[in-house]
Parts: sequence; C-alpha cells; structure tokens
Amino acid sequence: MTEVISPTTPEQLREAVSWALGSKNPLEIIGSGSKKTYGHSVAADHVLNLSKLTGVMFYEPEELVLSVRAGTSLAEIHALLSDKNQQFHFEPGNFPGLLADGVSDHAGTIGGLIASNLSGPRRIKVGAARDHLLGFEAISGRAEDFKSGGRVMKNVTGFDLSKLMAGSFGTLGVMHTITMKVMPRDEKTRTVLIACDDIESAGRAMTRAMGSENEVSAAAWIAREQVGMLGVDIAIGIGAGIVALRVEGPAPSVAWRCEALRKLLADIGASEELHSGNSNAFWQAVADVTPFAGGIGLLWCVSGPPASGGAIAAKLADETGGKVMMDWAGAQIWLQLAGGDAMADKVRDIAVSYDARAVLVRAPEDIRNQVLVFHAEDAALARINARIRENFDPEGILNPGRIGQMITKQGDA
Amino acid sequence: MLRMPEPDQSTLARRKDIIAAMRDIVPNEGGVIVDEDQLRPYECDGLMAYRQLPMIVVLPENAGQVAAILKYCHTHKVRVVPRGAGTGLSGGALPMADAITISMMKFNRVLDIDWDNRAVVVQPGVTNLGITRAVEHKGFYYAPDPSSQIACSIGGNIAENSGGVHSLKYGLTTNNVLGVEMVTIEGEILRVGGKGPDQSGYDLLGVITGSEGLLGIVTEVTVRILRKPETARALLLGFNSSEEGGNCVARIIADGIIPGGLEMMDAPAIKATEDFVHAGYPLDVEALLLVELDGPKVEVDYLIERVGAIARECGAVYSRISESEDERLLFWSGRKNAFPAIGRISPDYICMDGTIPRRRLAEVLTGMQVLSQRHGLRVANVFHAGDGNLHPLIMFDANQPGELERAEAFGADILKLCVEVGGVLSGEHGIGVEKRDLMPEMFTEDDMKHQERLKLAFDEDELLNPGKVFPTLHGCGELKTLHAREVADKFPDIPRF
Repeated sequence: MTEVISPTTPEQLREAVSWALGSKNPLEIIGSGSKKTYGHSVAADHVLNLSKLTGVMFYEPEELVLSVRAGTSLAEIHALLSDKNQQFHFEPGNFPGLLADGVSDHAGTIGGLIASNLSGPRRIKVGAARDHLLGFEAISGRAEDFKSGGRVMKNVTGFDLSKLMAGSFGTLGVMHTITMKVMPRDEKTRTVLIACDDIESAGRAMTRAMGSENEVSAAAWIAREQVGMLGVDIAIGIGAGIVALRVEGPAPSVAWRCEALRKLLADIGASEELHSGNSNAFWQAVADVTPFAGGIGLLWCVSGPPASGGAIAAKLADETGGKVMMDWAGAQIWLQLAGGDAMADKVRDIAVSYDARAVLVRAPEDIRNQVLVFHAEDAALARINARIRENFDPEGILNPGRIGQMITKQGDA
Repeated sequence: MLRMPEPDQSTLARRKDIIAAMRDIVPNEGGVIVDEDQLRPYECDGLMAYRQLPMIVVLPENAGQVAAILKYCHTHKVRVVPRGAGTGLSGGALPMADAITISMMKFNRVLDIDWDNRAVVVQPGVTNLGITRAVEHKGFYYAPDPSSQIACSIGGNIAENSGGVHSLKYGLTTNNVLGVEMVTIEGEILRVGGKGPDQSGYDLLGVITGSEGLLGIVTEVTVRILRKPETARALLLGFNSSEEGGNCVARIIADGIIPGGLEMMDAPAIKATEDFVHAGYPLDVEALLLVELDGPKVEVDYLIERVGAIARECGAVYSRISESEDERLLFWSGRKNAFPAIGRISPDYICMDGTIPRRRLAEVLTGMQVLSQRHGLRVANVFHAGDGNLHPLIMFDANQPGELERAEAFGADILKLCVEVGGVLSGEHGIGVEKRDLMPEMFTEDDMKHQERLKLAFDEDELLNPGKVFPTLHGCGELKTLHAREVADKFPDIPRF
C-alpha cells in the first residue's frame, strides 16, 4: 500500500528524506499532485506530499521579491500578487487543467511549477520560470540541507544551482523554500489580431513582428477551428485563423506600437485589436492552451527555433493529421493527435530535423510506459546528466524514473 | 593571504614533454608559448594584485584542438586555467605555476547571424561589443554591456555571467545566451541549447553560465539579439541624502517603470568624475541618480515626465533631462568614467561587487562610512541602483606597506555587511580568487559541497581552474561518500495518512 508522508516543516522534510535514504525506500514527490501524469510513473511505495509545507516567508512588493514554502498553492500566490498589482512575469498557465479535466484554475503548488519549469506566452520576452527563480533551499537525495542563490536580482556568487533545480522534476533535491522575482503588471495591454489561415504565413508574420522594434510580449497562432474555444468574441468575429501579437506598457506607447504592427503586417490580412480585459482573457486562454485542454487526446509540445515554427507545425499537422497551435512566436508548437497512437517516431523525427525537441505532455499511462516522454539526450550529455543525478541522489530515492531514460545510469548511455 | 593549491612537482618535471605534446596538437606559429618574457602578459587578469607566471600558454584555434589538449591534460593529470580576454576583476584567469593557461583569443569569428531567429553564433573570443558591431547595421544589438565591453570576450562573459548597466531591464548573460558548444576535460564536445528556448535534461546551459571556467571550455556561443530601442533619454536627479535617492529608486520601480539604466553615485564619486570628465554633474548633492528610459519615442517622452514627477515627490533638489543624444551621452560619460576618475585621485583602488536588497541601501552606505574610518581608507560608491548591485571603490596606495592588506580587509568587511543584510558577495564580477575565502559567509559546508558535486559531474579530477571559487576543495572521495550521520533508519515521526 502506498503510504503518504506529509511534512509540515523543513526539519520534518529532512527527516523523511533521511529515512528514505537509510532504508532505501524511494519517494514519489508531489505538491498537490496536479501534474502527476506529466512525465513517467514513479516506482515508489511512499509518497512525499509537500502540500502541508506552506506559508509566505516574506513578500516585499517594492523589492519585487516573494519567498514562500514550496507547498504553497499557486492560487494563494496569484491572489497575493494580484492584490499588489503584481505577477509572475513568465505567466504560467493552468497546466493541470491541460492535463486533466475537472481541475480548478491555478491548481498546483509553486514547488511543482518550478520543478517542471513551466512558462507561458511572455516567455519570449522575459524568459522562463527558471529566469525568475532567485534562490531556493532544499534537501538533497543525500538528506543534506543545501541552498543556492538568494533574494537579490543580481547574483553570481557560486554555481547557479537554481537553474539546475528548475525543471529537474524533484530528482536532485526536494525544495522546501523558493524565492521568486515578481514584477508589476503593465499599465496597459493590447493585442493585435490578424486574420491568417495559412500556418507558414503565420510563422513568417510572427517572425517579422518579433524582428520589429515594437517589443511584442507574446505571439501566437490559432487555427480557425480552435479560435472559438478561446472564448473571446472579437477573435471569433474575425472568422479565420489568427495571428495574435501582444504589446504591453504605458498607454501612449501601447497605442503607437499596435498601430505600427497593423501597418507592418497589413499584407497578411485584416486586423482587429483587443484591449485590456479582452487581451488578458485571450492570453490567459493561450497560456492555458484552452483549445486542447480538458484531458482528451494525446498532446505533444514541440519546441525549437522560432522562425522554423510555421514549417514544423505545417509538417506535423500534415503528417500526423493532428491539430496544431503555435505560441512563443513559433518556438512552441502544441500538437493534439486524434487517435490513440502517439506516433512518437514520426513526431520526433520531424522535430529533430528542425533542431527542435518533442515532449509527450499528455498521454495515458500505458503509452507513457512505452514512449519516452522527454527528448532523449545524446550520449555525452546523458552521461553528464546521470553523474549529476548520482552525485545529488546517490541511492536514487527521489522520484526514480520520473524523467525516464533521459537520465540513464552512468555507462548505459 | 591568498593560498593557491601547491604546484605539482611531477607536472613541473614533465614540462618538456607537455610542451612537446602541446606543439603536436597546436602546430600553428605562436600556438604554444613557453618563454618567460612571452608568458609575462598572461601572469594576471583584471585583478592585478595577484600575479603568477603560467607553466605554458596554449592558443588553440578550433574545438578539435581544445578537445585534444583537454584529453591530454585529463590523461596526464595536468591542471588547466581557461582564459578569455583577461579583463575579469575577480582573478578567475589567475595562472598556476603547474598549469597550462589556454587562451581562447584565436576564436575570434562571428559564425552565423540568423536574423529570423534573432540569434547570433560566435566564437568565444569575439568581444562583447563585437557582437553588437556585427548586427547594428540592421538595428540590432546584444543587450548585456559590462563596462569592459570593448575588450571583454563573450566566452569570458559566459564564465562570469556578466551584467552591465542595462541588466535591470534586459537581464544578465544567463538570460541572453541560447546555447553553447563546450569541451569537457575528457575531451568530449557537448552541444547544449541552440536557437530554440528549450533544452532537455537538466539545465546545463544555466549552470555552465557563471561557472568561472570550472566545468569546461566553451568553444562556441549562441546569443539572442534585440532590436535597438527607437530612442533613449536620460535624467540626472540630485538628492540631499542617499536615503532620498534610494527611496526614489524604489518608487520608480514600484510604479511599474523598469528603466533601461538606473545608476546612483555618492558624493565622493560625483566629485571625482566631475573633476575628470566635466559632465555637468551637480557638486552640492549627496546622491546622484542617472535614469535612462528607452523604447518608442512616445513611450520615452511619457515616462520621462512620470519619473520627473516621482523624483520631485521624493525630494529631488536637482533635475535635468537630456534634450539630445549628445547630452544623454554626456550624462553617461561621468558614470562610465567613474573608475578611471577614481584612478586619478588615488594611486590604486579595488572595486567591490556586492548586491543588497535595495531598501537597505542607506544603512549599508552608513555602515561603509564607519568601516572607512576604522580601516583609515577612503571609499567612493557607484552602483547599479535598480538591482541593488554596489560597486564601492576602495582607494589605497600599494606602495605604502600594509595598505593593500587594509584595503582587502575593508573590502571583505563591506561584503560581509552585504551578506548580513540579505545580499550576496558578487553581483556580476564573479568569485574567482578574490572573494573565494568569503564563500563561507554565505554558504554552509553542505551548500558548497553540493556545488562541488556539480563540478565533479564534469571534472572529477578537479583539473579545471583549481583554486578558484571554492575556499577548500573537498576530495572526490569525501564528496561521494554517504556519511552515517546522514541516514536515519527510524520511520520519521511526521504526519502521514
């Protein structure tokens, strides 16, 4: 039977990891468990549940810094930031909602968010979750306390282990305290929508917009048949697929840049503008990948050079028969397949041919047992990854198997 | 006094064999330097207080040669010190008597400008400014701009995770690098990242950046470039106290304005620079802010007004807005020449680099004055006020016995003060040898051991840049052992279901 251990303090957390190490009992580490199906199943009889390790250590809006325990819910954090008109600049979407139906908005914990390094549309301008992690405190697989970074914006003191921890899926250490950079919300937001049904033209349009001086903070393409699911009437009214480009900042600047973008891309198609609330609703839907949310159908995420996005998306749609959507100006492509076959070789071959990487974000467990969820490293990188894992968690007690064969035993690669 | 690892006598005894092997690998004219007079220019980097002749210097020209050199060094257990342009301020490229210094300055080509992906691929010896020079004709630039940007190499920027005056808005090197090719000590060529945003596996790019030459030697770099803002304007704002100046900085940022540059200088720094470059700085204020707004003209004009209004509310006693590009550059000329300006009024100076939470600024400045009196040395302050990164310049005369030691002790006290108020030892210059022995002020033994375990995954024999960053190197055996005290066999007494 699976036993759940729920520490409420860092000391209890250390004690739990120490026990697991001493008795060689692997742990499945979860926050609220909202992303359990992202990645491979963990072979462990004990669950280390961090959802009781909660609380705000400090929040100093003027210093743009927030420090919390790892189990603190994102719902609580978003409410706290929103109250001071601030936000996580990397605007993570409702990923749990994408994975499974019936999960409330902003489910999940800050620990889970950082451990999987999830970022939304603004990533193309401000970077990923990892770029906003200022510091952490954790217990490694050696049951030792360790920390890195701090609470200041600019810090090159020692190796940047914060980067290592972000996206490591709990396989190096269990973070208990997380310190984040937060940012004020912009005064104004507007989105230019341009009618465009052709995927490759859409890719080129986004490339042109990103190469202009209009400081586009998000760029996506939504196919005609998916626009309705975003729930924004003005977008639906266009009656075609749309290229969406967001600008944010002071009011006069936003108006000026919208105008410039509409002129720049006048040859692509008719354009419309979304202001404030509509613009926010639109990008929340893009961040949440609403057209493919709800847990139905196999879902891939392909990430590569932005300018190749149109070509990659067109080829994926063409060769798999699936539905596609582009974010990050083409650097991120969502592919939802119609049938039960993951078509992993086909998807990965297309991705790799454009120097991109494919991750199987959503699939039933039996498929995840057969198909690598994450992109496999080449041998030299896999060896380094494996050594890092062994040095931080020599007995392999933290989330064994979660990131699958990406982290192979040294020498196997 | 700084202690470096003892030279390995067996390596020194093999010097001739090593030279011969290096000449086989790098047969190019001038590729292997062995004569003392030619080794002399490599004896230090920007931290000139510490000097050591390298055993030899090798200047490879391609990744294959770097791989062969490192493979040889790995097989024969020879230590290696990587070196870029040698402008680093923390001694990260300080040579060792028994080590090969590998200079990367022959890697000086721009390989690919990919306008559509807004990415540039360069060799690591290309200068920081060289990247901007290669793309500015189409209105692009590379954002991080350390003050040494005319000379420093992008490979060195990767090693130190360099910042600059624009990092508040545009980030450090780590936020602007997309990929690297790196050779490991085993001679393997790794490619990490690329023109897209994601890698798979652990974020190796993130840890390679800022690793001070301890993990490998970077042989190719891909960075993102940005469109140059349409326009930029600057304000000079004077205050009667650093509290008021600091408060103004906090108010600007709290208002949602992230300026391209947000610099502050204290009275001694203002006077020294004004005497030197005559930028028109006011001499009767205690703190001077230089605020630069960049973006579309309509945005900049709007924000200049808002920042001006905030400054008035914060008690600014002096305010001037640049009305032309020449005037903007004049404002900057003072700040950019602050270091040489201090060099004019003091025979020697050292520059510290701590970062603090911004609201502790006034307290730290007061603390610095107390320390200044205690150590009997003058200090002038310039800082990247927006991100709390201080650059205290401690003035001394190296010809006076004991003054260097006093200056170093003063610097160490300043950094301890930074850590005490919640800050860090280095914001952008790196640890190197300069701040190595202060690492325990910030990190526990276990913190440092985990950092070293990352190092071990790349370089188990600790051949790459020994003596840097970590005050004591724990042996591989100690780092890999699981200690009995670490494990508990009792099931933990904590809530479960």
